Parts: sequence; C-alpha cells; structure tokens
Amino acid sequence: MNIADADPEASARADPSRAETQGTPTHCPYCALQCAMTLTRPKERADGAPLLDVAGRAFPTNRGGLCKKGWTSTVVLDAPGRLTAPLIRDADDEFVETSWNDALDLVALRIREAEAARGPDAVGVFGGGGLTNEKAYQLGKFARAALRTSRIDYNGRFCMSSAAAAANRAFGLDRGLPFPVTDLDTARTILILGSNMADTMPPFLGHLEGARAAGGLIVVDPRRSSTARLTDDGAGTHLAPAPGSDLALLLGLAHLAIAEHLVHDDYVEARTTGFASFRRSLAEWWPERTQAATGVPAERLRQVVRRLAEGDAYILTGRGVEQHADGTDTATAAINLALLLGLPGTTGSGYGTMTGQGNGQGGREHGQKADQLPGYRSITDPAARDHVARIWGIEPEAIPGPGIPAVRLLESAGSADGVRCLLIHGSNPVVSAPNVDAVRTAIDRLDTLVVCDVVMSETAERADVVLPVTQWAEEDGTMTNLEGRVLRRRRTVDPPGEARSELWILAELAGRLAPQVHFDVEAERVFTELGRASAGGRSDYSGIDYGMLDGDESVHWPCPAGGSSTPRPFDVRFAHPDGRARFVSVRRRPNPETPRGSDQLWLVTGRLLEQYQSGAQTRRVPELVAARPRVELVLHPAAAHARGLADGDLAVIANDRGHLTAPVKLDAGIRMDTVFLPFHFPEADSANLLTSDAVDPVSAMPEFKTAVVTVARA
Amino acid sequence: MHVLIVGAGPVGARLAEGLLPALRSGAVEVTIVGAEPVPAYNRVLVAEHAVGGMGFDEILVHDADELADAGARVFLGARVTAVDAARHVASVDDGSGTDSEIGYDRIVFATGARANIPTLDGVPRTARDAGSLRRTDAATIGLDDRLPRGVTALRDLDDAARVATAVQARQRVVVLGAGVLGLELALLLAAAGCEVVVVHHGPTPMPRNLDRGAGLTLAAALRAAGVGIVAHSRAEAVAVRHDPDTREAHFDALVTADGKHVHGGLLVLSCGVGARSELATLAGLPVEAGILVDRTLTSWTDPSVHAIGDCAHVADPPADVRAWAQAGGRVGGGPSGLIGPGWQQADWLAARLAAEASGVPFDLEPPDERPAIVMLKGESVDCVAAGDVTPEPWDVLDDGRRVAQWADPEHGGYVKTVTRAGVLTGFATVGMPRTASELTLLFERGAELPADRSVVLRFDGVDHDPSAESSAITPETTICWCNGVSAGRIGEAIACGATTVVDVGGATRAGTGCGGCRERIQGMLDDRSPAVIGV
Repeated sequence: MNIADADPEASARADPSRAETQGTPTHCPYCALQCAMTLTRPKERADGAPLLDVAGRAFPTNRGGLCKKGWTSTVVLDAPGRLTAPLIRDADDEFVETSWNDALDLVALRIREAEAARGPDAVGVFGGGGLTNEKAYQLGKFARAALRTSRIDYNGRFCMSSAAAAANRAFGLDRGLPFPVTDLDTARTILILGSNMADTMPPFLGHLEGARAAGGLIVVDPRRSSTARLTDDGAGTHLAPAPGSDLALLLGLAHLAIAEHLVHDDYVEARTTGFASFRRSLAEWWPERTQAATGVPAERLRQVVRRLAEGDAYILTGRGVEQHADGTDTATAAINLALLLGLPGTTGSGYGTMTGQGNGQGGREHGQKADQLPGYRSITDPAARDHVARIWGIEPEAIPGPGIPAVRLLESAGSADGVRCLLIHGSNPVVSAPNVDAVRTAIDRLDTLVVCDVVMSETAERADVVLPVTQWAEEDGTMTNLEGRVLRRRRTVDPPGEARSELWILAELAGRLAPQVHFDVEAERVFTELGRASAGGRSDYSGIDYGMLDGDESVHWPCPAGGSSTPRPFDVRFAHPDGRARFVSVRRRPNPETPRGSDQLWLVTGRLLEQYQSGAQTRRVPELVAARPRVELVLHPAAAHARGLADGDLAVIANDRGHLTAPVKLDAGIRMDTVFLPFHFPEADSANLLTSDAVDPVSAMPEFKTAVVTVARA
Repeated sequence: MHVLIVGAGPVGARLAEGLLPALRSGAVEVTIVGAEPVPAYNRVLVAEHAVGGMGFDEILVHDADELADAGARVFLGARVTAVDAARHVASVDDGSGTDSEIGYDRIVFATGARANIPTLDGVPRTARDAGSLRRTDAATIGLDDRLPRGVTALRDLDDAARVATAVQARQRVVVLGAGVLGLELALLLAAAGCEVVVVHHGPTPMPRNLDRGAGLTLAAALRAAGVGIVAHSRAEAVAVRHDPDTREAHFDALVTADGKHVHGGLLVLSCGVGARSELATLAGLPVEAGILVDRTLTSWTDPSVHAIGDCAHVADPPADVRAWAQAGGRVGGGPSGLIGPGWQQADWLAARLAAEASGVPFDLEPPDERPAIVMLKGESVDCVAAGDVTPEPWDVLDDGRRVAQWADPEHGGYVKTVTRAGVLTGFATVGMPRTASELTLLFERGAELPADRSVVLRFDGVDHDPSAESSAITPETTICWCNGVSAGRIGEAIACGATTVVDVGGATRAGTGCGGCRERIQGMLDDRSPAVIGV
C-alpha cells in the first residue's frame, strides 16, 4: 500500500509535480543547525545517482550553504540496509519479513506479557533527539497514557541534559541559543568551549567570521580541532586545557573577572541573584592555581577575560565541556562567567549551548524525558499533570511518576528490577551509549527488543522485532533547531516499501493496548495537540500552526496562543518568577578518571566531519566513508614515540572496561597526555567500549569526555 | 559527635562547610572558634587585598551565617586558650577575657601558621618552645608578637591595612626575605607604583626553590618589573626614628651585617612561617614542625585529636611513639605552607567525620602528601618550581637522577628538569609559561617526559604546533572544511575548466558550506601556477 495514497492531505503536500519542478523546501536530516535545502526529483535518474537532488536554500542559519553530509543526505533514502518491511525472528533466529498486522500484534502481545508478569514498568521506551516534535510528543504520550510506564528516556540524556539542567537552574528556561545565530555575526569576541562546529556543523562557521576578523575567536579544546585552527593567523586564541579541567578554567576566569574589576555591577545588581555567595566560591581560584589545574598559563587567562569584558561577546558551550560527570556544574560555571560580565539577555552579547542532534532542542521539550511532560513541564507538578491529563483524556493519577534516566534505564534492562521489553526509536545505543559493552549485554538480556529505524542499525540487528519507518524526505513534521526556531520538514517522496511513520505505528499499538486513548496519525493534527499540551508550559508552542511555518515568518518558541515568536527570550527578564538569573555556586570535585604515571593517557571522544552520531546513516554513504573509512586514534608524536608507534601503526587502546585496536594518526596539535577517538564506528571499533558510565549527579549525563586508557603497539 | 574546630581560617572554615550536611541531618554538632573577628578569607590573596587590587568581599571564602543557621556554634574574635586532652575539654575566651569550657568528642586544630619573626635588634620576639610556653601565661596563647611601628608581617587583615597605608602614602617599602610571598608582594607594590626593595642574604631569590640559573633569571625579571634587590645582605637590626611630637619610635631603616642602611617607610618581614601549635604543645601532644598527625590526619597519640592545614605536620608515626619521644626523636618534612593541600585535607576529614558520625562505612583514601609546587604569582613574572633542582647537567648522581637545562638569559627564559627514569623529581622554569604549566601537570601525574625534552620547550615557541598550516598551500591542504575538499581536488577542478568560485563549488562542493574559503578558492583561480595547484 502506498501511504501517500491513503492520506489525501499528506498526498497533497508531497506534491510530486512540485518536487519535479521547483523542488520541495525542507531542512537537512542531520544536525541541529537544520540547514535549509531544496529537494528536487531529477527528470531522469542517472545510474548510481541519488533519488533526489539537493540544493542549498537561503536561510539565516546556513545562508544557502551545506556541508558534505547535507549534500549527500539523499543517498540514505535508498541506501543498502534501508528497511522496507517489518521483520521478526524465525525459528532459526533469522529475520523474516512479515505483515504490519502480524508484527504489531506480536509487539502488543509481548508488551502485555511483560506488563502481566511485572507491571507497567516492565516495558520501557527509548527515544531520540532526531525525532520530529510530533513523534517526540507522541512517544511520551504513548509511554505514559497507553503503556502507563514511567520507564521512558532518550538519547538526548547523552548530549543535552547537562546544559539543559544548567540553563534551567540559572535562567529558568532551557533554550539552547536564546538568540538567533545571526546575532553572532556582529560579535567582537566568541568564546567556544568544547565545541568543534567546523566538523559537526560547518555552515555555522560563517557566523564566526566577524569575531575572527576582530581577532576575537577563542576556542577551548584539548586538541587543535578544526575549529581551534580557525584561531590561527591572528583570528583568535586557542587554549588547550587538560581534559576534565574545564570547570577549573571557568572558575579561574570568573575569579579574574572579579579580581580585575571587570564585573558588570549594574547588570549583576539589576538582573541576577546569588552574587555574594557565588563570589565566595571563587576566592580559591586565583590565576596561578587555575594554571596548575588546567595547564593554561595565567597570562592567557587574563587576556581572555579582559577581551570578554570589552563587550559584544558571546560564550558558547558544547559537549566537550558538558559530557562529564561534572557537566552541569561546568555549564553552570560558563553561565556564571557570562552573568558576571553581563552577557545573557543583553543586545549583542549572550550565552548559549550548541545543541547537537537535528531535533535536540524540540526533543527535550515534549515529554520523552524521564521526568518531564510536554511544554517542558515537570512530571511531579500537580498542575502540569492535570493540564496534560485533560488533553490526553485520562485521569491525572493515571500518569506515572518520574522514571529513570537513560544510563540506568539501559544498564538495568533485562535485570530483575529493569525493563523486560524495550521499544527504541531513532537511537542506536549499542554504539552511542557509554561503557557500551555493558549496554550490549543488558540489551541482549531483554525478553523483547523492538526497534523502529530507517536502516538496519547495530541496535536493530539485536532486536526481536524491527519496524521500518519513514525518514526526513518522506514525512511531514516540525523540528526545533539550535536557536529554538520551529521549522517545517516536508514530504517530498513516498517512503519505500512498507515503511510507515512512527505516528501511525504508535496509534496502531495504542489501538491494540489502550483503545480508550486517542492517537492521531497525521502530523499536523499531532502538532496542534502538542501545542495545546504545551500551553502555559516553559516551551509554549500553542500559538504556532503549520500555516505560519509555511510562510517566511521565523517562529521561535515560546509562542503562546495569541502571542508572538520570541527570538530573544531573555531580552527583558529571565524566566524565573522574579525575572532574575541565578548565580549557582559550584565546586570542583576530584575526577576518578585522571591518569597517573607514564603509561596512562586521557581519552577524549568526539566527531568527524563526515559522520553523524552513531553513523547509522552516514556510514551508508560511500562518499563519506571513503574520506575516513575506519576509526583512527589521534595522538601526539611524543606520546607515540614513547610507545614505539609510528604514523599508521596499529595500536591497542585499553582500560578496565574494554579495548579496541586502531591505526594511529600522529598530530602535534593534541596534548601530549591526551588521545582522541571518534565514536561513530560500530562493534569492535566503538570508542564507547572505553568510556565511563559514571553520571552527573544533577543531569545523569554520562562521562564521555574523560577516560583513562593505555595505548600500546598491537 | 561534637566536633570542635580550633581556627576559622580558610581551612577550618572549609572543614565546617564540609560538615554542613551532617550538621543539618543532626549527625554531628559543630563548634568553630576563630581568632579573627571576620569570616574566613583567602590568605593567599592578602597581598592583592593590601595593595588595592581586591576588596575584602572579593577574598572572602566562607559564610559564617550559613553555618550558624545550620545550627553550628560560631565564635569569631575568640580564642581557645587551653586544651585538656584527657578530659576532652577546651577553654575558650570569647573575647570578653573570661574563659568558658567546651567539651568535645573530636578536636580539630586548624590554627594555621604565623609569620616568622627573625632575630633583629630592635624587634622583640616570643619563644614558643615547650619550656618557654610553660613559663608564660595563657594571655599569649594564640596571639602574635607586637611589632614596632613601621614593621609588619603580611598574614592577616591588620597587616594588610598597614601595607595599604604605606601604598597610599607612596612610601618606600623594604621587604625582608626573597621567598615567594615576599616577592609576590614586591611585584604587586612595584606594579602599583611604589618604590620597593627586597633584601635577602643569599646570592639569588627563592633559594629554597630555585637553583642558581633560575634564581639569576628571576632576579633579572624582577628588576625589569621595577623591584629593587639587595642580595648577599644579612639583616641585623632595625634602626628607628622618633616622631618629633609624640616621641613614638618608627621604623627608619634595615641595617645589614655589612653596615648598609636600607631606608623605607615600612618594613615587611617575609621570612617564612611557623605552625601555630602552642596549644597542642601545652596539651602534651607530639609537635615537630607542626602538630604531628598520621596520614589520616589523626594525632600520633590521641585518636580524638586531628590537625589540618598549616599547623599539621603529616608523617608516619614510629612504632613506639613514647620510646621515640624519650630518645629525642626527630622527624623530617612539615606543613607545605600551601592552601590547596589544606583544603584537600579539610574535605577528606569532613567526609570521614561525617561518615563516622553517621555510622556509614568510609573507604576514601586520605589525600596524597605530594611535594609542593611553588608558583610565583605576578602578572609580569612567570616562575614555577617543584622538588630539588640543585643538581647540574653534568653532575654524576648515584640515585639515577638526570638533568636537562635550557637557559636564555637574554630573553629571560630558563628551564631545568630533573628526572629519574624520565619522570620529573624537580623542575624550575622562568619566563616559559606554557612549558611551566605542562611540566606542572606532568609532575603531579608522575608521568614520563618526552624523550626529546625540547618538545616541552617548544610549547612557548611561535611554532608550537608544527601541524598548523603555514601560508604555503600543498595539494593536501584542506581548503574547504565544510566539505573536506583539498587544494589538490580544487586544482583538478580548475584544470578541468572551472573558472569561477561557483564552478569550483559545482565540481567539488568547495565553498558551498559556510563560504569562509571562497576567498582562498578565488586566490587559487587567480594564481593558476601548477606548483600552487599541485596538478
């Protein structure tokens, strides 16, 4: 059956003639920059050419540009491994195709069995930051209202949770960039901590040009990343602190702001609270102590803080400083520094975090987090429960309480008190989760694993049931990008084979399990319901409709019914009831992942230009794979020499949790005590075999960025 | 469990703060007694405070109200005058001059250190050995010596006020002692526009930390920063002048053994510090360079007594302490004099006491006793040292230590590393900030240096990243980062007929991302020499 035929509205939107003539305006499937692109069906498809042609489209975030991933994105539409029919295991444990009816009946049966044996919390749901707003909302509703389970969380726990927690406690609101990216164009100074956007979202670099021209791009990274290289030739400064010392660095900068009388006193007085006790927490971080803790000379620290204090300055954080067991405190320290200098909510200045996944912003607002209901509401807030229960047509008491965060959800899977049946949507945790060998073991312990994906990911390969779903060019919906801008994703082609939208799958399953709860299948109607559910919440979408998104209007949430778009939510006041931002004092704690002696090194993990997340999509694009076909270990020539390694030699990287073998690539731009692995690669090449599953006490973010390893000749 | 903390400086206050959760849960009671009438401040920054850089609010580290609100008894401007270890009772003078008794289950000495007063004619000093202490009455316990007008140490807020007055009056300041604290003050004074002269008796500054080469390089840097230095001069006496009206004596000049009179309006004594351990001495507890405690910060002889920070001398006790003491035993080492280790001790002891009080198992290792790293704080001078750096490169050392050295007096750079099996046992650097900070981390970790020692020197060079791109474009040079397009690939496109940036983008996608490389592509189009393009 062709789904487009079955749904007249969707069919009208996936206007084949438009796709062939002027093309369909939509956005890239990958990162949170959500570059605008136009998809066009070629008149004749050349042999080996993708199904659709891609062209960049003028838009504030990407100004018509795309990166290598975006240009090749349509290759994934019919790449090898694309799922086109529901799969279940046969008697020999091999996947066999089956009908939707049989597959969904089986899933419903397994869910009922797990519930009957151990109650609703025996069923878990694991979502993703790449799902559309509509899917993310529907997934949360499905878990709470249809499954009645508290056990839902998502892979955004691995990326945005620390920055989100820090922003919520400081500002009362978590919108990654509380300003449009184009505001950065006029900055004199941009301090970037732990983000390598030159590889992860290259078209963003255009917004750094103003700061570069002013000599004010400051990049903090233990390796000389592609982004750090943008500071060369007088464009700015690269600081290379020891891994795990970012919090000390930020405390030291804040100390200097006070010691050198660079604090914006009027701003602190008028717009913040908690300064006095925060100041006491800084007295211990004089510059030379900061130097000893970070490896960054005191003089460089002075230069940085003086430059920031000159105004027209932004501070941006990324996963490099957030993916730590002290990530929330580190993001908080960055916010504290920004508040001292009067940056957030000031015209021409600001603080923001660089959201990573395509819908990493929207994905954290609509209720797929363990402790959250739509509209970025707390699941423990009685008023929020009443409001959402009314929309869902259930009793407030029927909504379960808070669940458990991703790392615990996954590690306890299949255990006595863990979930027995797990549904995974848009995520590949057997590559992307920390200490991944333990996660693989846990996943294999499950009674039932159901994976919804567009391709046969490494996680899907371990499933009992695999359900093929639509991907970006085959579906309608909305995404919320790194600036809180709500965007329309538009259907251009029909999905292949039997692939279906998750909205339809969730409605079908709910029909089997909880027919009394209504689930829409059409994206626009789900969006309308999402808007009503979010009304009055922190991320209020109730004033947005698809019509507005079809126009040229730029819509940033919050946008309440009867209100308007809010590109800069902190212009006048912060979101706490008193309108003030909070200084939250933080203190550095000892990090157990600290190398000792000569053999041990720090491992930091990160990304490559050619790959996205777990690589499930991008590893299927030959042009991207050809550039860097396999995992390589980056290390300093001196560290290599001490181990008898030359460029290209095979090395074993190991610690208590696991080991992997990779060729080495020498790079004098990385610290001598640090090695780097990208985490996009699967199975035995997975960098996450080595990462720690220790988590942040506030956000439950795992410690991806510091792990102690040894490196030796293979 | 009632914990009595003697001393409310940064280390004592940190301990109290660490006990807050246990205090709030009712597992412990806390009493803290501090001699100064203000909440704890960061003593490391007293010189910055004195010379006008930082306000008092900005060096505070502690909130006494928060502690009191949580139910602790806080006595500031009070002092413990005696400890009866047998009865677990301390006498406290709350400032009224009368003592009251406070019982304890655990007593923690965090009394810190006081400035050493050198033997100088004209400056009185108090002996605090056990015999002398028994002869004095409680009135002097916990107090510092009164110095003549115009003479001060630099340890507390009163000292800071005296220095601040001299700065305001633009007086010439004489600093006696070329240790790290004296030099930091001198640098601050010079930066503030004061005339300052440092008098010391050795040939070079920071003799305990630096070898001759580092000392000479540092001395040059200090002079360049405006600090006067009088070396080879043993101070013998203080000359005074009398105020014509009040007849009060006031410091006039420091007199050295060779007869020099070094004049100034203020003399700052910076001759090291000694533990404030007289209470423990009188209580019969073993004391050497500080109150002797084992690695768990517990007194060698009394399990209910702990000591942390500058008053604590951490050392492994002999098997039989009594026999050792009777034999007149001595023990090496002593307090580091640095705040960082003190805070670590406070954090650890707080965790341990809280666990004990709540009956929770406790297995956290006590903090390591690591050799101190000394860093000279000062904006214009960069000097870091650790361990023993006296060996010279061609010395033959039986213990396997090896020395490497780099000296560039003309440009003020100096590095010496002393290693055993490649691992640092000591180092000294002057004027090499990036190298210094990396050596600091390597020293702390105990990690081997690169076999090519010059790698660590090059961190401070302009070429410290050999992989950084030079202006010369090679075929492998990445031109378009967004799309990972090399110069060679663009060269091919140009060779195949691309004549504009748009053509090149069409063929290679270069320049179709952020657009930052379009100028470089245009440059390649403008200059079509095959050598540049690489085809």
